[in-house]
Amino acid sequence: MASAGISKGEIRYLYRSLLRTTRQFCDYNIREYAKRRTIDAFRQNQNLTDPSAISAAYSDGKAQLDVAKRQAVVYSLYAPKIKTVMDSTISR
Amino acid sequence: MAARGGALLKYLRVNVQAIPTTRNPNKNGLFDLSFNAICRRFSEEVRGTFLDRSEVTDRVVNVVKNFQKVDPSKVTPNAHFQNDLGLDSLDTVEIVMALEEEFQFEIPDSEADKINTINLAIDFISSHPQAK
Repeated sequence: MASAGISKGEIRYLYRSLLRTTRQFCDYNIREYAKRRTIDAFRQNQNLTDPSAISAAYSDGKAQLDVAKRQAVVYSLYAPKIKTVMDSTISR
Repeated sequence: MAARGGALLKYLRVNVQAIPTTRNPNKNGLFDLSFNAICRRFSEEVRGTFLDRSEVTDRVVNVVKNFQKVDPSKVTPNAHFQNDLGLDSLDTVEIVMALEEEFQFEIPDSEADKINTINLAIDFISSHPQAK
């Protein structure tokens, strides 16, 4: 996964940022989907060796992070008034 | 009447004493004052409290045991995530994130990168006042 262009640390940082952002979605379904999607995407690309493929995946991840951050804000503005069953049972 | 009023006033009088601003004359009074002010400003909630180490150990071990890819029988407080539990760097990130959720505080990236054994996680969390 390491390459000359992008360090493992940067990739871990992106992974962590994405996972942190997914927590901010107020809807349970979207939150869990975003988390699942993040984990799956990093798993899918973990064996990449070609530096250009790695940097392409990395910049795609960064773009997705921007989308996730923006959507978390947008969804919070239009949050449903009734929470899903999952959220109401999970909230302590 | 006036005498009685005077007696009453005398009875009600509160002794006023000047509070010494500097308790230790050798020290700078301003420093003492600001130090006290700082102490007062941080309420218990902001400063937080340290969790008991054995409690932290139990909860950390539980979080790691509940992680999908981990064999629960291999989890001991001395286990190394990658060498003993067979996890990779992505799994380690996920475990640290799960620990953040369990203890409801944020672990900075520089610290999160260093946590690669259960013991290090316990050390960090039990020395962190914001962990709940």
